[in-house]
Amino acid sequence: MTDPVVLEGVSHAFGEGELRRLVLRDVALRMAPGEIVLLTGPSGSGKTTLLTLVGALRALQAGSARVLGVELAEAGEGQRLSLRRQIGFIFQNHNLLGFLDARQNVAMTLEMQPGLGERQRLARADEVLAAVGLAEHRHKPPSQLSGGQRQRVAIARALVGEPGLILADEPTAALDKASGHEVVSLLRGMARQRGVSILMVTHDPRILDVADRVVAMEDGRIVSAPPAGRD
Amino acid sequence: MMRRFESLLLPLRLSWRQLRAERARLLAAMAGVMFACVLVFMQIGFRAALFDSATSLLSAMRAELFLLNPLTTASFRPEPLPRIRAHQALGIDAVRQAVPVYMAQVTWRNPENGTRRTIQLVAFDIESDAMGFSGLPALADALKQPDAVAFDRRSRPEFGDVARLLEARQGTPLPVQIGGRQMNVMGLVDIGPSFGADGNLVLSETNFRRLLPNRDFSSADLVALRLQPGADPADVQARLRALLPPDVVVLTQPDLVAWERRYWEEATPIGFIFTFGSLMGLIVGMVIVYQILFSDIASHLREYATLKAMGYSNGYLARVVLSAALVLAVLGFVPGAVASAILYDVVGSATFLPLGMSWGRGALVFSLIFGMCAAAGLLAMRKLRDAQPADMF
Repeated sequence: MTDPVVLEGVSHAFGEGELRRLVLRDVALRMAPGEIVLLTGPSGSGKTTLLTLVGALRALQAGSARVLGVELAEAGEGQRLSLRRQIGFIFQNHNLLGFLDARQNVAMTLEMQPGLGERQRLARADEVLAAVGLAEHRHKPPSQLSGGQRQRVAIARALVGEPGLILADEPTAALDKASGHEVVSLLRGMARQRGVSILMVTHDPRILDVADRVVAMEDGRIVSAPPAGRD
Repeated sequence: MMRRFESLLLPLRLSWRQLRAERARLLAAMAGVMFACVLVFMQIGFRAALFDSATSLLSAMRAELFLLNPLTTASFRPEPLPRIRAHQALGIDAVRQAVPVYMAQVTWRNPENGTRRTIQLVAFDIESDAMGFSGLPALADALKQPDAVAFDRRSRPEFGDVARLLEARQGTPLPVQIGGRQMNVMGLVDIGPSFGADGNLVLSETNFRRLLPNRDFSSADLVALRLQPGADPADVQARLRALLPPDVVVLTQPDLVAWERRYWEEATPIGFIFTFGSLMGLIVGMVIVYQILFSDIASHLREYATLKAMGYSNGYLARVVLSAALVLAVLGFVPGAVASAILYDVVGSATFLPLGMSWGRGALVFSLIFGMCAAAGLLAMRKLRDAQPADMF
């Protein structure tokens, strides 16, 4: 099995001319299959930019990034779009569609997959919702769910498409300690079960224990990255 | 195939769910589309009704071919043509009858209150069957009497309630002052008012001469030709063109109606006014729909960006916005069409204009409304560019 994320010499800058500001400098990072990596660091250290590059949400400027076997340095918009369909995204805010109920939100991920009927989509959404413990809440819109429940729906939405990689951006930021830890443990458990790797950006020291490895960033550089896959 | 169907159906369902979630906004959008719809229906309806009524006299004539002075611009203001052309036309076997028609406008004194108003005279050989106005055959004998006329029952009410007065006289003629002469109204026919004439009177050629003795009776205003059964009008038309000198044109009845209609469409501002009115309605409707769609996108920008991050393409989201426009078009059109049908009835009976709903007109207005909503959707779609998934983190 190939490593889901292999970054080499990745640099990224925002702005033009005088205002040009380098946010990533020569970053190298390799994730093993099924590995859970936490990315920490002060704000402005470039960790979110790194996450958007791995998620194929931005064009790569310099270096090489192989994500799920796709070389992003050569990928066009179309290839990045289809790569994104193989990645599960979990945002700081749940970003669920307010006018859909929980299972419809989860089924949205499957609407882009060819060959699935409406009944199959909803059945799979129900399965994953049951796995995150929301079976009896599946017909509720996000406005009737608690913060932790919403984030669990978001996890179900990210997992239902059987992604090869999960990218999470401070998923516990909007949650209290107990539900934050509960949500992250759930995510970890489900990823383990399915063998999916997770790259998670977080400020939250309370959840560092779920990681296989913690990578710290500062000033656009990785400052501590014990090589993965060798232990 | 199934795949393509789904790629249209799923965005449609998503847009419907989104619209449905905010009832107040949906109702506002529906009201906007409905408003535009009613406005366009009324403008198009008035336009068609006025053009139809402009040609009601000519449409009521039953002849297959007509001879006309080429300088005639509208039937209420005819240029005379030599009456001899009618006899010349009879030289072709296929022409069964050639009926000269005389037209003039004279004043009519309202028998109820004495006010005066201009009325259209239509005179011809009553015994011929060239005109086919309903009610005329029963009056054919009565109209042969001196100073006898038949009144168009659909004339505007300002001419007086002739039908009621006639009934009160129990079969005896109703005396009315027409063009300064005492004439007798013998009965009623059905023609309909038009742009050029608020009312019509039908009378015999002889009585027309009595009423207007100064007219040159070697000329007529129109010649109606009835053909032998089975004769091809186009063929006879071609032969008449070859036979007759260029001081007359030969027109079929549809040609004649189109001739008259073209005058009202091109030589008067009427066509422009109603086209302009329809356009205004469509623009107002488009602005309303655009506002609704735009604010829908603006308030769901995070959700749209999330969908883009999840791998939804720009094309998919564009289809969502266009589907919303389509849903609004349908939801606004249906009540708009119903309201317009009711308004047609109300306004039609108040103005004596032939206003009516038809499938063709419904289809036309729906395609205009659909185009309006699609244009609004295309404009609103530009807002989707602001949904940047990279800014979501």
